[in-house]
Amino acid sequence: MVDMPAQNPQRIVLPPHRERARRPRIVRLREWARRNLFNSRAGTFLTIITAAILALIIYGVVYFVFVDANWRVITENRWLLFAGGYPMDQEWRLWFSVMFVFLLIGLTYGTWASLGRRDHLFIVLASGFAILLLAHGGAAIWSTIWYLIAVGLLYAGYAITIRMPREAGPGRTLQQRSVAGLLIAALPIVLIVLLAFGGARPRELEGFVLNLVLAPVGIVGGLIIAIPLALGRASRMRAISWTCTTYIEVVRGAPLLGWLFVALFILDDVIGGELIVRAMVVLAVFTAAYMAEYIRGALQALPHGQSEAAHAVGLNQFQSMQLIVMPQALRISIPPMVGQAISIWKDTTLVTVILPLRELKGNADSAIAQFEFTPDRIEAYVFVAVVFWVVAFIMSRISQRVEGSLGIGER
Amino acid sequence: MKKLRFGLLAAAVVAIVALVAVACGDDDGDGGGEGRGNTVQTIKDRGELKCGVKQTQPLFGFREADGTVVGFDIEFCKALAAAVLKDHTKVEYIDASDASTRFELLNEEEIDVLIRTTTITASRDRELGVDFAQTTFYTGQGFAVRTDSGIDSTSDMGEAIICVQTGTTTEQNVADHFTDIGLEYDPQGGLSQDVADAFFAGRCDVLTADASDLASRIAVRDDAADYKILPQIISKEPLAPGVRDYDSEWKDVVNWVVHGLIRAEEIGITKANVGQMAANPPNTEVARLLGVPFQGGEVAALGFDSVDPQFIQRAIAAVGNYGEIYDRTIGDNIPRACTLNDLVLNNSGCPDGQGGIQYALPYR
Amino acid sequence: MAVAAGGAPPPSSEVPLLYRRGVRRLLTQGIYVALTAVVIGYVYTSLDLREFGFGFLSEPAAFKVGNQWLTDVDGVTNSRITMYLVGVWSSLRAVLVAIALSTVIGVLIGVARLSSNWLVAQMAMLYVEIFRNTPLLVQVVLVYTILLIGAPLIENVVNVGDFFFISNRGMAMPWPVPDSGFWGTPDWFVGVWVAALLAIGFVAQRVRADRQGRERETGQPHYPNRWALGVFAVGAVISFFALGAPVSIDEPVIVGTHYIEGMVMEPEFTALVAGLTLYTSAFIAEIVRGGIQALPRGQTEAANAVGLSGYQRLTLVILPQALRQIIPSVTNQYLNINKNSSLAYAVLYDDLFRVANIVQNKAGHALEMFFVIIVTYMLISFAISVVMNFFNARVTAQRI
Repeated sequence: MVDMPAQNPQRIVLPPHRERARRPRIVRLREWARRNLFNSRAGTFLTIITAAILALIIYGVVYFVFVDANWRVITENRWLLFAGGYPMDQEWRLWFSVMFVFLLIGLTYGTWASLGRRDHLFIVLASGFAILLLAHGGAAIWSTIWYLIAVGLLYAGYAITIRMPREAGPGRTLQQRSVAGLLIAALPIVLIVLLAFGGARPRELEGFVLNLVLAPVGIVGGLIIAIPLALGRASRMRAISWTCTTYIEVVRGAPLLGWLFVALFILDDVIGGELIVRAMVVLAVFTAAYMAEYIRGALQALPHGQSEAAHAVGLNQFQSMQLIVMPQALRISIPPMVGQAISIWKDTTLVTVILPLRELKGNADSAIAQFEFTPDRIEAYVFVAVVFWVVAFIMSRISQRVEGSLGIGER
Repeated sequence: MKKLRFGLLAAAVVAIVALVAVACGDDDGDGGGEGRGNTVQTIKDRGELKCGVKQTQPLFGFREADGTVVGFDIEFCKALAAAVLKDHTKVEYIDASDASTRFELLNEEEIDVLIRTTTITASRDRELGVDFAQTTFYTGQGFAVRTDSGIDSTSDMGEAIICVQTGTTTEQNVADHFTDIGLEYDPQGGLSQDVADAFFAGRCDVLTADASDLASRIAVRDDAADYKILPQIISKEPLAPGVRDYDSEWKDVVNWVVHGLIRAEEIGITKANVGQMAANPPNTEVARLLGVPFQGGEVAALGFDSVDPQFIQRAIAAVGNYGEIYDRTIGDNIPRACTLNDLVLNNSGCPDGQGGIQYALPYR
Repeated sequence: MAVAAGGAPPPSSEVPLLYRRGVRRLLTQGIYVALTAVVIGYVYTSLDLREFGFGFLSEPAAFKVGNQWLTDVDGVTNSRITMYLVGVWSSLRAVLVAIALSTVIGVLIGVARLSSNWLVAQMAMLYVEIFRNTPLLVQVVLVYTILLIGAPLIENVVNVGDFFFISNRGMAMPWPVPDSGFWGTPDWFVGVWVAALLAIGFVAQRVRADRQGRERETGQPHYPNRWALGVFAVGAVISFFALGAPVSIDEPVIVGTHYIEGMVMEPEFTALVAGLTLYTSAFIAEIVRGGIQALPRGQTEAANAVGLSGYQRLTLVILPQALRQIIPSVTNQYLNINKNSSLAYAVLYDDLFRVANIVQNKAGHALEMFFVIIVTYMLISFAISVVMNFFNARVTAQRI
């Protein structure tokens, strides 16, 4: 023991941050607090004020959630909020879609990203919340089981894909292509499951299910229209660029509420069809104008050398667009596109304002029209806000992960 | 770049204006009246009745926790489906809660019939392409105030804030009424549920709507005693099913289903006894109403081409007579003493001379 | 194009007609125009234009419009277009206030996101994540509901010193109004004072520029801002009394169950503006953060090196540079506020969209009403873009 100090000089000296990590946890914590919370007199003051505000907010939220609020308006109306007029005996179709989408999320994660610790936590929390929402009435146990199976599928899909080799090669390409193909086919598949072969009629899509159907239709439809629109606007042919520009600027000139007004009053004479279909068309047409602008921005951001190089190796204009320019432009435009997707997700609430379609917020209005729940407006709307927040957060989380591992935004 | 975008924005505005101008210049179009609709056939082909109803009005049209739509108006949708399609469940309920878009839903053929506490008025009949069938509920426009407000009539409402549903007859009535009595008021408009909530929260002093609407919203509240409906009624509000103009066949069916349900109450046919009555009609009128032969005679075909003679029978079998519908849906909250006319029904229990106004037309 | 293949492009006469670029372009555009014409023609013929026209707008309105401020239009005798303009004015008010508030809050939150104080940064992040990811419609409706249920009834009004009141019928506060003053001047005379204030403001601006110049030349402090403010304050007070005090403050009073006098911010207006502000400020915060983070770190270090305080560093070095990147995106957010103001429809606020809907409900003419709506929104957007481009030009005038 006496000799020990003599060994000290041979101790390996670590870089400063590793060195700090060797100190006891409490010291590190104190140091962290001094640096990040109490770095100056003004900083200390700010911390105290902020902490006080935070405490007030937490107290208010806790008091509201656990004492003040009457959550029976939600628990009693779970089915109304979740699916509303969707035929209850066809419930399995909803669950099938949920499982399919969850499996897809798992596959996407496993193929292009990996789950962080926070993601696991989030999946668990979102699951708990969703069980609360989805499990309805007497069949609560079954709904819970269905839901757990869906979460299980998510992890199974993730576990399978994450183990596959990530190095470029034919296997990797096949994996990416098949998951991407599934993603593209997801919307038609879900729609077929929900509606075809004795399922519901389009009008019976209601409540949260309606939001979940409208948003992807708007996003996918919007993207399909947006690409030619962006190319048209960037075109050197006057007639084409002029009409595309007019389209984009006119659509962006009026609020979505106004375009839904068109779907109800004017589009009927032009394309006819079910109102919900017209609403989908309007959502797609509306989203397309915004997406086209993002794609155009990305096209402009691409170095000119890319298309020149494509010509140099003998690709014609169409090939260069398809193989060289568009893939890169779409990649660049993913972050704003995700923003737009989240925006359209939130905007699906607007169909209730103008159209006789009852999505989640609309059915929350119906719930608080019931005799016993008229005083519980705040609870109903808070619940709706939280549901939308959760889905929007999941969307941004997944996209952040995928963007991060695709290296988008890095230069 | 910025400048270019401006130019394009400006160009877009100009283009729209130009489009309008062009469209203005050419007004004549193809001309001619609306083609005669045949809604009954459409409904039959579709196998389903599209019924425009409220989804946020207690007692008349609202939703239960399992997603089903229920209420007084809903029963008439079921009756119509039973009459036309022989199955009262073949109804698609379409949300017509927003008063300001309901007639468009009808005109754009989103719905076949509008049963949504809608008042018959001449201007709607003329301008909005809507035709009304027999009234299902007679009410008038009233005012609700808080019991402790000290307001006893509209003459106490000078400068008051009045909550009123946008896009309704009530909005016009209250404006006219206050012009007549020479008082100012401050309107607060919106959807009927929203303005009612605003009133109950204390945002406005007065809520004006159909008295039935007021009663239904107050009756279901825990603090119902804190509110009162003034005895003053400033208008007539007959609430009736609306159908599209130029479709007399469908209008006839709607009309006679409602009359049939009222008549059923007058002569004592109920959901429970309709089967037995049809099998063994006590008199010719019952036989005629139910579309069955009386003592081996002929079935009295009244000539509604598009439905068979038993359509009223099916409607009664599905939802019961008018009184049963009323008692089942709103009777607990809005008592009904004299909806049926004393002169017709000597045993209705109404005081003399105060007969109600529901009165079925002769079905023969 | 053909350079890579080697050799110069062949003379145009040798290329077959169909392969010449000009011809191809013309052909493509010709087909395109024809197709577009067919589509437009189809839309045109399928619309019901028999009663198309704008005459209905000049008929009497026969409905009332609430939430009026500075206007008093009863709707009984006024035309529909008048009522629509009242709605436009209501929209404009909400949009302008929401733009101002969301800019201030957005910048604050955006800067707080980058604060060295961990707690402040986390709070700012929480704010952004919450308000950016929930639907604006729900926010507006929720705020409105909370205002109606949460704020006291008018009977239990919160009274701050008899000049400021809060209840669920709105906030009432003192407000300047034209006054006949010492010399019994008419109401429009207040305009003279406003003009005088503008002139004084111009003078103050000159004083500031002059002092700034001298400061730069001599290196001695000449306090340009304090001087300018002093000149303006003194000028304002002198002109106010010289013109006979043409403005007085109107204090709100409660009579029975309603406010009279003063200015009343009704809960519908508050809810709409609050919703727009919460939502948009979260986006603006992210734009501001992005703008600041895009600056090279050297800027902060240099500012520290010359001994600027944190506040000076932010206002003199960081924000002015970040503005170049921030302004175009923020302009987009302002345009969104304009469009999103149509959500007034959900909170009983009579904005242009709601009034247009009422007119449409009474008179039909959906197509015409929609044209009116879209042109109005575009004009407002155009005005916002013009103002913002003016700012942008000023910010980018100095090259870095």
